[in-house]
Amino acid sequence: MKTIADHLFDILENSVNANANKIIVKLSYYNKIFSAQIIDNGVGTDLINITDPFVTSKKTRKVGLGLPLLKSTAEATGGFLKITPLKEKPGTCVEFKIDMSHIDARPFGDIPAVFTDALLSWPELNLEVIIIKSKKEKKILDTVKLKKELKIYNLSDIEILNYLKEEMRRELNEIGIDQQFGTI
Amino acid sequence: MKNLEELKEIRERVRKNLEMRTGDFAVKIVVCLGTCGIAAGARQTMNRLAELIAQSGRTDIIITTTGCAGFCEQEPMIKVQEKGKEPVTYGKVDTKAAEEIFNQHVLNGQIVQKYLFTKGE
Repeated sequence: MKTIADHLFDILENSVNANANKIIVKLSYYNKIFSAQIIDNGVGTDLINITDPFVTSKKTRKVGLGLPLLKSTAEATGGFLKITPLKEKPGTCVEFKIDMSHIDARPFGDIPAVFTDALLSWPELNLEVIIIKSKKEKKILDTVKLKKELKIYNLSDIEILNYLKEEMRRELNEIGIDQQFGTI
Repeated sequence: MKNLEELKEIRERVRKNLEMRTGDFAVKIVVCLGTCGIAAGARQTMNRLAELIAQSGRTDIIITTTGCAGFCEQEPMIKVQEKGKEPVTYGKVDTKAAEEIFNQHVLNGQIVQKYLFTKGE
């Protein structure tokens, strides 16, 4: 994985594979610390060592690399990766922290494209993206609301996606998340 | 959202397009987006294909995604499925290869030998 964006997309793919149809992503960037929280309503996993590359719920083969790679990316900067099942309902929360000022940090890559790529890949997915701005939560994408307000069932048109991507890019840039290692 | 009006304008422009896309398809392109595909740049490939479809104005070509196909060294991989024909799988499809495959195979039905991985399921 070259960028944090790739890792983020990989987690979304895990969620969709676990039959999630709703994902909430929360991103914050403060004092060079990037944190992400991804909450889904998928079936989750009861495997204990899911960040071990030789532990996987896949039936087709015996290795799973996505989470172990993210774990090493996060821990190389002094950060962490945490996976917790939701208490009351089915679903999983994946949380990771990366110190972007660390010499081993990967660049952000195109973070807004992660979400529009997800909508292109999985048109039925309900996706919410929230950023923490001045200690307050701000929603920068809400597909349920958008579909309702635009009265369409499908957002996966390239013109709509590009528009949403640039909107999100502007918001993310404002809290310092750019393509490289952040501006603040 | 203050930009809702702008989005509504775009929607008016593309609505017909979106509605037609939900119908029957002539060609389906499947992009492998497992961990291996993502690491190899399959998202760029997918985006290039989506752009090409939009430019072509064809509403009967659709893109879908799937997980790892088990040939990670061949990623990014795509499968081109023309209706009523055997699917064709291509390997190492970067954005440039995607353009060639789109123009030759998706639009004109000619298999691109250079990137061919396998025919059939």
